[in-house]
Amino acid sequence: MERIGVVLGSREATPLAFWVGVEGEGLLRLDDLVVVEGFHPKVGKVRYFGMVDHVAKVHEGETYDTDTFLAVQGQIPVSLAYVAHVSVTRILPEEFFPPDPGSPVYLAEGEDLELALYYEAMKNQRGSTKLPAGLLKNGEVAYLNLEFLNGVKGGHVNISGISGVAAKTSYATFLLKSLLESGVLKDAHQAKVLLFNVKGEDLFFLDKPNARLTEEARQAYQALGLPATPFQSVAFLAPPKKDGYVPDVETRLEGVRAYHYDLVQFCQRGLLPFLFADRGFMTNLGFLVQHLTEKLRRLAEGQKGPHLLVEDWAKEELPEGITFDALGKVRLKSFAELVRYLEYKLLGPETGEGEGDRSWTARQARGTLEAFIRRLRASVENVAHLIRGDRPGNPPDPLQGEQVHVVDLAKLSPQAQMFVVGSLLKDVFERKERGQYRGRVFIVLDELNKYAPRDEEGPIKDVLLDIAERGRSLGVILIGAEQTASEVERRVVANAAIRVVGRLDAAEAERPEYRFLPTSFRQRALILPQGAVILQQPEIPVPLLVRFPFPAWATKREEVLEDNSAEALRRELF
Amino acid sequence: MAWRLYALELPQAQELMPEGPEPEGFWPLEEPWEPRTGEALPWPEPLYFLDGKERAEGLVAEGRRLALLGCVAAGAVVYEEGRMRLLSPVVRRVGVGLSEPLPAGELLYAPFPVEGEGIYALQEGLRRARATLEAEVAKELSGGLLVVDGPVRLKREGPLVGYVKTHWARYLPPEKEALLARLAPGERSPLFRIRRKGQELASWYLRLPLPPEGVRPPEAGLLRLETPMEGPYEALAALSLSLFPALASHPVKDSRAPQNLTPVGGLERELGRRMGSREVVARLLARHLGGG
Repeated sequence: MERIGVVLGSREATPLAFWVGVEGEGLLRLDDLVVVEGFHPKVGKVRYFGMVDHVAKVHEGETYDTDTFLAVQGQIPVSLAYVAHVSVTRILPEEFFPPDPGSPVYLAEGEDLELALYYEAMKNQRGSTKLPAGLLKNGEVAYLNLEFLNGVKGGHVNISGISGVAAKTSYATFLLKSLLESGVLKDAHQAKVLLFNVKGEDLFFLDKPNARLTEEARQAYQALGLPATPFQSVAFLAPPKKDGYVPDVETRLEGVRAYHYDLVQFCQRGLLPFLFADRGFMTNLGFLVQHLTEKLRRLAEGQKGPHLLVEDWAKEELPEGITFDALGKVRLKSFAELVRYLEYKLLGPETGEGEGDRSWTARQARGTLEAFIRRLRASVENVAHLIRGDRPGNPPDPLQGEQVHVVDLAKLSPQAQMFVVGSLLKDVFERKERGQYRGRVFIVLDELNKYAPRDEEGPIKDVLLDIAERGRSLGVILIGAEQTASEVERRVVANAAIRVVGRLDAAEAERPEYRFLPTSFRQRALILPQGAVILQQPEIPVPLLVRFPFPAWATKREEVLEDNSAEALRRELF
Repeated sequence: MAWRLYALELPQAQELMPEGPEPEGFWPLEEPWEPRTGEALPWPEPLYFLDGKERAEGLVAEGRRLALLGCVAAGAVVYEEGRMRLLSPVVRRVGVGLSEPLPAGELLYAPFPVEGEGIYALQEGLRRARATLEAEVAKELSGGLLVVDGPVRLKREGPLVGYVKTHWARYLPPEKEALLARLAPGERSPLFRIRRKGQELASWYLRLPLPPEGVRPPEAGLLRLETPMEGPYEALAALSLSLFPALASHPVKDSRAPQNLTPVGGLERELGRRMGSREVVARLLARHLGGG
């Protein structure tokens, strides 16, 4: 053990925090872990483990600030005081009396480090639950207790930080890598991941090795016990282009499947409310939406899409282009036609002041009905390519096939994004609720403040709240990220057992959402470098500053390590 | 019979004006009697500053006998390679008038002889204890130049300069003394010889800068320096012009500015600190020697 200094007597030493005077050549930095031994004849030996959260140097012997100049010129003698403040993380045994001033302070290494960070408690009957979560300053591995992530004792992760410093998405994918491949999660082969790609096409190269991976990063992966490889089993799903069925992506051309819903799926799964996630979600309208969702569900019962057959659209009312089929039924082949049909059912024939079908209007005032139709019509432009009647739907199914499903939202309009996120989350959650899938499902969603805003209500927020509050016991784990945790529904953030903070905006760092960080960490969150985050988990009373290695998978087109071998080219061409 | 605490504070002793010997005559060493200036000279290294401090901590009595418990400290700072470094100071607790060591808790007062009787003799004893300690510390300082606070009393191999901040004794005849009022900051008087207790010394006056400039009493910033005649007194007088004005303290920081030199001020603070908290010492004395 390296002796680094002594407990100061000139400042108060308490069982929870004390000051250390650093001796001679000693070096004590923020985040360093130390151990001190205390003794009391009635209690015996007590060991204090702590983390340095403040360090300071000062000239002693100076009375005035200008004395510094005199000291530098060599006119007055001064001595350099080097002190550090230590927050105690653990006392063994738990006897809360203060350490004696003058007690030697040692750097915690090896076993002491594990004790200081409660690593030795991270285990269950089946073995260790230490999930590698990054590297500490001294090069040692920082661990998360898996049981607070997989839902056993707690679940969910919340990541906040300003964008552009490669913290949120990078850390989320790193965490996934650790979850899936470190071997700590015992049923990792059953786990599924649903990743929403919200901007650019960053996540579209998860399965490609990163050409810029350095030797240093490789060693970091090795230290963490993780293979420095891209993700093995990934499905890429993107919405189709507005015309046709080709996935709407630019950088990645192979291996991306287009996804869309057909009209029957839309009705059967009750997805109508997810088109109304915007702020004008009034009570009356909400009621009407519920009612119509149910009507549509019944209408689609027993139908086998993709098109929707309706029987009660009077012949003379049909708009141009829609025709009766042989059985006297009308075949709705696009979302626009469904909207027309609903308009007919709610407002009656276009000609004259007709009335809608009473069983559909649910006794709502005509104004409400008109407002509903107006909104629905406005959404045609946004979602017509996602909800179609001319081809069997193939919506993303994260519980089938590949382990990781990347679902692209980047090019969709906000309304369509809401629709996709809402309907997918609802689908996954309902199936887990019914016990249709055994393994764990990890959902990574950026921009939580958009989907679960603090001040507004909406169907997606309801689903997210459901996942946050009940998901962990069902094995649905939300890894949510946002720039500003202060704008996300409090209950969603509060349910996250593990909180990760990347670089923060100065004003944001002062909000109560970050009170779990000690002041020094809040200040440091403003200057965090790339590849570093602050990690807070329930078992350890202080947050940890961890570095995580550069992604082993490509995060953009230029980083993809080209495979130019003959075999690869042959596969490409034939 | 045991020693008992008699008083923590000394009875208000009258500040005695040291009885300075009247000048026995005036022997100028330089002509003419005009202010002198000099060029900037490099400081010699090592350059030592020696100072001591004394503090009466309590008066104890055993029957009719009185003893003065006190603390003396002495130390030096050395200027080397552009840095002013503190050499480890020595702190001692002495009991003037005790015949054997007197413990008071963790404190142990070593006996120190007293010459004469009464409270003044005890105080004088404490001063002697300080001077003894200073001499001890001075013995450790080899080479370079030694600057001491107060008149030159000790003997030393190398060069030695003493500086006197308050001027009780008049060394100059009145017509020559007029020059002192005319000395500008950074100027010195010509050298003259003085004789004290059989010691031959070269002495001169030096005016320190005292910012902000303005109307001052005639003695403000005036130092009298002295060095043994057998040393290189002319060189030291020249050096003093580059040395002392640079080390003069600022009135904002030191009430005894500018005469109390900055390194010495720092040293004094440090010595005071090492003597321990006065209040804690008083409590220890009261607990262990009081009562009964």
